[in-house]
Amino acid sequence: MNQTFPLKSWVKQQANRFAPALFFIGLVLLWELVCQVGKVPNYILPSPSAIITAFFNVEFSRWMTHLWATLRVALMGFVLSIMIAIPLSIGMIRSELMNRVLYPALIVIQSTPVVAVAPLIIVLLGTEDPSRVLITCLITFFPLVVSTTTGMLETPPEMIELSQSLRAPRYRETWQIRIPYAIPHIFSGLRVSITLAIIGAVVAEFVAAEEGLGYFIQFSTSFFKIPQAFAGLIFLSVISLLLFKSVQWTQAWFFPWSLPKKK
Amino acid sequence: MESIEDSNKEPSKQAAYVSFKGVGHKYDPLPTAPMVIDSIDLDIHRHEFVAVVGPSGCGKSTLLRMVAGLLIPSHGEVSVFDRPVTEPRDDVGIVFQKANLLPWLTVRKNVLFPLKHKYGSYSANDEKRANELLEMAGLTQFADKMPDELSGGMQQRVGIIRALLLNPDILLMDEPFSALDALTREQIGFDLLDIWREHPKTLLFITHSISEAVLLADRILVMSKRPGTVLDLIDVDLPRPRSSKTINSPRFSELADLIRGYIYEPNVPA
Repeated sequence: MNQTFPLKSWVKQQANRFAPALFFIGLVLLWELVCQVGKVPNYILPSPSAIITAFFNVEFSRWMTHLWATLRVALMGFVLSIMIAIPLSIGMIRSELMNRVLYPALIVIQSTPVVAVAPLIIVLLGTEDPSRVLITCLITFFPLVVSTTTGMLETPPEMIELSQSLRAPRYRETWQIRIPYAIPHIFSGLRVSITLAIIGAVVAEFVAAEEGLGYFIQFSTSFFKIPQAFAGLIFLSVISLLLFKSVQWTQAWFFPWSLPKKK
Repeated sequence: MESIEDSNKEPSKQAAYVSFKGVGHKYDPLPTAPMVIDSIDLDIHRHEFVAVVGPSGCGKSTLLRMVAGLLIPSHGEVSVFDRPVTEPRDDVGIVFQKANLLPWLTVRKNVLFPLKHKYGSYSANDEKRANELLEMAGLTQFADKMPDELSGGMQQRVGIIRALLLNPDILLMDEPFSALDALTREQIGFDLLDIWREHPKTLLFITHSISEAVLLADRILVMSKRPGTVLDLIDVDLPRPRSSKTINSPRFSELADLIRGYIYEPNVPA
């Protein structure tokens, strides 16, 4: 059928290809239209054009200051949580006792709403970076532990037997077999965690901060600069998306074998 | 039992054999727990090719794991070179049902993996040996490819030469060809015979294909359904070298029928 109507099929193909972008653009246009036609005031729901104007009304250096504050906390929390989660997972895989002791504790930490604990952490550690990094870390590390342990447990049992029959040291079983087998899982955990890291940093800024994109949104809202708050929100989403993408790029660059096979 | 280490270091010169004496196993120590295998007696001579056939779940793989020392029987004793097997031994090569190649290593590095894993590194000499093995398996031009670029048959060839890297005297194969299509399966069987002729090994070969067992083995251990016991030990008196012509000989059909009788007759049709 595709051969019989080349033009029609071409149009179909292109429509298919750009469908997500077209949907997005359509949504923004609809938003703009509703705001213009319905004369929705900017302090209730700002139109996309008002948001863009507000974005450029804020100085570039101010954006960078806020961006850096949020990014710094998010990345520090993210890295710290990797540094905790991976060794913890290895320990839990290797020692049944450690697994039994730590697993309930992890569940308790995970089921405690971090938003509720955040003020207490700030009381405990002060209003500077350490408390913000800890809050971020608490939000991000659980998915990492789960994905790393799941991945390590999914190692084919035959490979473990091979390792045992070679009488290889245990740490090589971990580093040469289990961890590489866990790479695809670790990266799905990292993709979840990196977006949670931004959420963690913003939560921390909501509680106590003088800078950062979360702080900027809250502060703009409280001064009824709603278009400016929206601009901050969209900026934050774009950053979050970029971080998510960079985790994917890291995996594709360093571990191409771990990606699902393209058909 | 003074040291299994010694037996690991001086394997090949002795009149080596693998021996099962009244071996039985259950995973649960409770007296009422069922046996997986029971009263297995078997002597495998050095450089003999023994195939094990039996219904699924009869504990064929259990035997193999016991020779490797990955499983210690709860009853009786397995010994290799006259010494009881009490812990994993590194002088056996194991080939599994799936090739189980590491997807992040090239084919050559997969072949070298046992050395890398056991000692942490390998020498240029070892690499030369890996290349020789790859050549023997007809895989030279695939040495730098990743495993997923190879067909199932080629992957399993890599699995086999990986097991040969440390030049073990005993080769344990656990249904190694059952994931392959029929044509590949036949070809790789003959290739295995060639390898075995050039590099003699004591070979324990688990299979659920009766014709494969008859075609390849010197002797066939026929096991009953669970708990697995020895139904018969059959000498395969077909001349070597064996080829696709062997399949047409009347003796081949006789032997296959004999085994089929053991596998099917004692059971009510499922």
